[in-house]
Amino acid sequence: MIMILVPAHNEAKTIENVVKQLLFVGDKVVVIDDGSTDDTALLAGNAGATVLRHTLNRGQGAALETGHTYARQSNADFVVHFDADGQFDFRDIPRALASMKEKNVDIILGSRFLGKEQKIPWLKRAVILPFARNIDRLFGSVSLSDAHNGFRVMNQRALNFIQLTQDRMAHATEIPQLIRRYNLRYAELPISVSYHEFGQGPIGGFRIVRDLLVGKFM
Amino acid sequence: MQIIFQIIFSLFAIAALGLVWRRRADGLLSKHSALWWSIIWLAVLALAWYPNSTQVLADILGIGRGVDLVTYCALAFLFFTIFRLTIKIESLQRDITKVVRRDALEKNNI
Repeated sequence: MIMILVPAHNEAKTIENVVKQLLFVGDKVVVIDDGSTDDTALLAGNAGATVLRHTLNRGQGAALETGHTYARQSNADFVVHFDADGQFDFRDIPRALASMKEKNVDIILGSRFLGKEQKIPWLKRAVILPFARNIDRLFGSVSLSDAHNGFRVMNQRALNFIQLTQDRMAHATEIPQLIRRYNLRYAELPISVSYHEFGQGPIGGFRIVRDLLVGKFM
Repeated sequence: MQIIFQIIFSLFAIAALGLVWRRRADGLLSKHSALWWSIIWLAVLALAWYPNSTQVLADILGIGRGVDLVTYCALAFLFFTIFRLTIKIESLQRDITKVVRRDALEKNNI
């Protein structure tokens, strides 16, 4: 079973369309509604998704781990991480699954830098992302061309090892850390990303570093 | 003038000591923590009445003035307290997430 996990927080504008598209390529779409105050959960359910509802906003990492727990309980063969804001292309999922088989890896990580040129804001491309890549390496991650790309596909083996403890955005650094710690086989895949919003700025970056540092003492 | 500060600090330290042991009596503080807090407030009381006593230790440690030693120790203590609070808050955050997650999964009932 291919299970697509979509963490969502106040994504009523896009969630319905995203779920409908994902149902073409996955067996089950699971939206983890992370304490939304709009109709995200209702719209996702009506569109055909299974909805897991966080009564409080706990962050993207927490939402993904809730999805992981559900996937482990449901015995999913493959798990996909997909953003709710519609910035990813659902057609990249079958490509990723094929690439996973072809390269015989446990996890595929999306990259904005391997394929055709993407419309990434200058500040993000030239400053924030290179800085984030170095921070990831500093914290023991595997070396990747992209940092904090939310598109991932993993098999059962990777799912069992990747148990996220970082509730907020630092999970995106924790995943490559766990890949290295457990010697998981991985590959990157060029994917399409269309930016609707800037995403994480420098302040978000500092919060991630703070969370990673605090996590070292937990 | 010095006597005013000595009285204010003494009253403050005595009130804090009383609070520590009242919290201990209510079962909100462990014996270990109550002892540590008592030592700290007794030290404040001692320093208020014998301010030059810190000079002896400052001389041993090669720090110029006794008051500097007190400042450094207070800063170190504050930083350590903030560090411990940060870790404690993160630990509570993770506990909240576990409860929220269990609730989300139970309501779904696979």
